[in-house]
Amino acid sequence: MSKKINRLHPISAVITSVKALKSMILPVAIIIITNGFNFSFDIHSEHFFETVLLFGVWGGAVVLALIGGVVKWRTFVYWFEDGELRVRYGLFVKKKRYIPFERIQSLNYHEGILHRLFGLVKVQVETAGSKNGKPEAELTAIRKAEADAIELAMQHAKIQEVDLNNPEDVITPAVETKAPVIYRMSVRDLIVLATTSGGIGVVLSGLVAILSQFSDIIPYETLFHELEDFVRIGTFIVALTVMLVLIVAWLMSVVITLVNYYEYTVRIEEEKLIITKGLLEKKRITLPLNRIQGIRIVENPLRQLTGFATVVVESAGGNGENGADKKIALFPLIKKKDCVQSLAGLFPEMNWEPILIRSPKRARPFFYRIDFVWLAPVIGACIYFFYPYGLLALLLFPLLILLGIWQHKTVGYRLDDKQLTMQYRIFSRITFFMDKKRIQSLQSSQTFFQKRKSVMSVKATVMSGVTGTAGTVSSIEHQDVEKIFTWYEH
Amino acid sequence: MRAEPIYQISRKGLTVWHLYGVFQTLLAAIIAGVACYGTYYFEWPIFIYYIAGGIVVLSSIFLIYLFPKIRWDHWRYEVREHEIEIQHGLFVVKRTLIPMVRVQHVDTTQGPILKKYDLGNISISTAATVHTIPALVMDEADALRARISELARVAEDDV
Repeated sequence: MSKKINRLHPISAVITSVKALKSMILPVAIIIITNGFNFSFDIHSEHFFETVLLFGVWGGAVVLALIGGVVKWRTFVYWFEDGELRVRYGLFVKKKRYIPFERIQSLNYHEGILHRLFGLVKVQVETAGSKNGKPEAELTAIRKAEADAIELAMQHAKIQEVDLNNPEDVITPAVETKAPVIYRMSVRDLIVLATTSGGIGVVLSGLVAILSQFSDIIPYETLFHELEDFVRIGTFIVALTVMLVLIVAWLMSVVITLVNYYEYTVRIEEEKLIITKGLLEKKRITLPLNRIQGIRIVENPLRQLTGFATVVVESAGGNGENGADKKIALFPLIKKKDCVQSLAGLFPEMNWEPILIRSPKRARPFFYRIDFVWLAPVIGACIYFFYPYGLLALLLFPLLILLGIWQHKTVGYRLDDKQLTMQYRIFSRITFFMDKKRIQSLQSSQTFFQKRKSVMSVKATVMSGVTGTAGTVSSIEHQDVEKIFTWYEH
Repeated sequence: MRAEPIYQISRKGLTVWHLYGVFQTLLAAIIAGVACYGTYYFEWPIFIYYIAGGIVVLSSIFLIYLFPKIRWDHWRYEVREHEIEIQHGLFVVKRTLIPMVRVQHVDTTQGPILKKYDLGNISISTAATVHTIPALVMDEADALRARISELARVAEDDV
């Protein structure tokens, strides 16, 4: 039995250090900016002490990060033995982790820019137990061939539980066969996704934060006179500047989405979904089909109008992408028709176009009446404090009622033999498909007023990450809820 | 019409909830007292007295008497062979159904007040949710925990 000890590629020292340094940049930048760049190495300057302190601490942290990277690379080893992937690392506290190949749910690959320069890959090993978002083991940087060797060893362990100790002997070119593609995002879809994604908000708030930080540096005094002219020229220019900022933010979000979702492809291979994506950083996520707990089709109003949807899957195991968040956008953007087809290909036993049973008409007030409770004081305050214009707040009433009516129209459910489908909306329309045996618990709720009208709400929870994800249909017929309960019991 | 679950929480549980209400009211009274003192000392507007007094009176009515009683009235549970059913709620009555196959583990917990009354809480965890039946007589809670874990073991199934 040859036990070959494998190490990480030396570059992993750099990668680990860079990662640690990256997380330090933001706090340091904030300190520097809030200090208004008042730094000085002149011992007589009043800023001398802070400067030394800051750079001393920072320098120390940098050195620690560098040492940490090297130590991790030197101490981290992994090998195959007895059908297990064994990992050992740590300088003072030695940690060993043995992961049986049969227990490995998925191997996720991630290639950052540094990885790609050297033909390396970061491998995250996920098991069913890696629930809190952390992978069971993470190999920071290994050669692609070595990653393939792990995959091969894993496949062999699963197919035949013999001859595990020598994966080199039994190498077959099984990995290289291209699995059938389920979904590939076209350039058009990619552009639509990028331009309609909600990422703009994040980028915008980031820009505002940065600008506000620079407000100390901008010489307002001299600007002020010019500003007067500026205002005189008219609000047009102000509006134009705002527009420009918005457009820049939007363009940035477009670029970020384009880079992240470039060549987004979903393949299927032996009951596993394999997602690859990325332009600069490549990612490969493996998602075993039997870990999928529920599927949601999300259509925001704009996309619903144009016939597009997003398909989100709730997965029990880790996916190594969003940490604790176990929601994966399987199809980030897809035509509604194609999405039903693709999903039917993946899960033929599910009913993807159910005819829904809607909420009764008498339930409609429940969708907006509760809002009046908080709305009334808000509107009252608006009118009181901004008298003439505050009256505009009254417009919220019809708007909220319209939204409520819209939500009421969307609510619906459908029971199939082994499947519960729920549809509802907050703004985006969500259609939640759940397998009966994946539902962890079912909860009904009824207020006094709902009882009088004999309507009831029902909530079904599936496992997803730590807390699970719930689908709720509000105010449907009382008997319908009881039907769902009886269905769930048997 | 689905029948309500059969069992109710022990009567002593209601006593404990009344007691919790007393503590909450005491807390409110302390805060109100500080506010009144501040009003007297710094000559804040007089209506603060009324608000503080009102809050204490209302909280003693609602938190000590009414809310625990309503909640106790609504609380029902039943452990059957294939599922656990729980009903609870104050204004919104909620009913939860947990199949035995989904139960992952069961805990009983007991704080100092519950201990004095020989009561305990029992929490039922599934892969995604946790459900608590509060203020059961301790022997009953232990027996229930044992029973659920036994039933859950029988009903083995993949998650």
